[in-house]
Amino acid sequence: METKSEDTKTTIPFYPDHLRTEVRVMLWMAAVVLLIGAHGLTNPVGLGNPADPLDTPEHIKPEWYFLGVYQLLKFIPKTAGALLPVAAVALLVLWPFLDRTKDSKRQVMIRTIFSILFCLILIILTIWGGAS
Amino acid sequence: MINIAKKVVLIGCLLLACVGLGFDLPDPNPAENGGVGVLQPNAGRNPAIEVPPPPAQDPCLHCHIGGSYQGLWTPAGRWALFGFAGFVFIFGAARSASVLQRRKPWLPLSTQIGSWIDARYQVQSALAKFLDKPVPVWAVRWWYCLGGMTAFLFVVQGVTGIMLAFYYQPTPENAYASIQYIENEVRFGAGVRAIHHWAANGMIILCFAHMMRVFIMGAFKAPRELNWTSGAVLIILVLAFGFTGYLLPWDQRAYWATTVGSEIAGGIPDVGTLILIFLRGGWDITAVTLSRFYGLHILALPITLVLVMAIHFLMVRRLGIKEPL
Repeated sequence: METKSEDTKTTIPFYPDHLRTEVRVMLWMAAVVLLIGAHGLTNPVGLGNPADPLDTPEHIKPEWYFLGVYQLLKFIPKTAGALLPVAAVALLVLWPFLDRTKDSKRQVMIRTIFSILFCLILIILTIWGGAS
Repeated sequence: MINIAKKVVLIGCLLLACVGLGFDLPDPNPAENGGVGVLQPNAGRNPAIEVPPPPAQDPCLHCHIGGSYQGLWTPAGRWALFGFAGFVFIFGAARSASVLQRRKPWLPLSTQIGSWIDARYQVQSALAKFLDKPVPVWAVRWWYCLGGMTAFLFVVQGVTGIMLAFYYQPTPENAYASIQYIENEVRFGAGVRAIHHWAANGMIILCFAHMMRVFIMGAFKAPRELNWTSGAVLIILVLAFGFTGYLLPWDQRAYWATTVGSEIAGGIPDVGTLILIFLRGGWDITAVTLSRFYGLHILALPITLVLVMAIHFLMVRRLGIKEPL
């Protein structure tokens, strides 16, 4: 902001230039949301059978975003299995305090590969958990 | 002395109100007034549609939400159309009168409203700092939008969630039936529930994508550690939203998914049983579980999420977006 005249080539003002872009994105999102709503009018989300505590179904499945963890826990003893998500959450929250090295291109590469691998494993576990 | 412009506005609005009311007055002699005349009461209503008397048990629901009172939209549409045209006309007349009287053109309406607010709240200088902040050109890319899109979906969730909460009843006896009612009876209910359902899934995907983007670009490194930490808390809260919300339909899938989910939490050594009992409100999943999941879902989690989100956004604003290497 101090060197406004020099920055004009590398920056755009938040108002109105960037705000216009953001409003445009929001309007597109709103359009998609309304389309989903219109689709939902003819294809409702629906309900399963009413809950019955006495009738345990054969295949119990959590929501799809917990399927990966759920599948992983099938291969791990109960106590360790319960601690694993806790450890994962702690690692997630504290990650920036553990990885204190200075950022470099090489590190970005390593992180990209790691992320892709992580996503792949998660997707495989999710599909596996959904199919089993 | 009131000036002419104000008089024009006053008289115009009174006239509009009279005309509007006149349209909706009940017709004393419907047979004699056969649709001709200047001020025909109930003119827009289709005589072929017989309006049934509301049943004794639920008059309001039956007429207005069930949609059997077909005539409701005609007067509403008429009011909207003629009312809007009338206000435009009155505005034009009032502005002409004012310009004629004061011999001075009007400032643009947005400027007038802006200066009116600024004279009272004095937000100009504070807002200028916020609005003038330059955005680097490289940050105008779609992948920098993921977090903002998640925030937008959260607003959508808030609005549709409030709509659903109007009809949803968090008791084991009524929960299932109230969702059936939302899907089958409430106007646009199925659409609103579909939006709430799919936007929840979209939020989780966008959250995760945003986290991956930040991770790969190294935007969690100093001095942005707390940005990442607050973001991690946000993603956990979003997952908690998903977990608590999933029970609310009270169908078999929901009931048993919650059973298994809370059992996994119960496996944690030492504190596990405590967490399980806190989640279920006892040893089993009962009405107590449903109420507390509902309370968490619509009160505790949204309040926490909004607070953490405010912290998250403020820190992003303060530290700026990390420049890619």
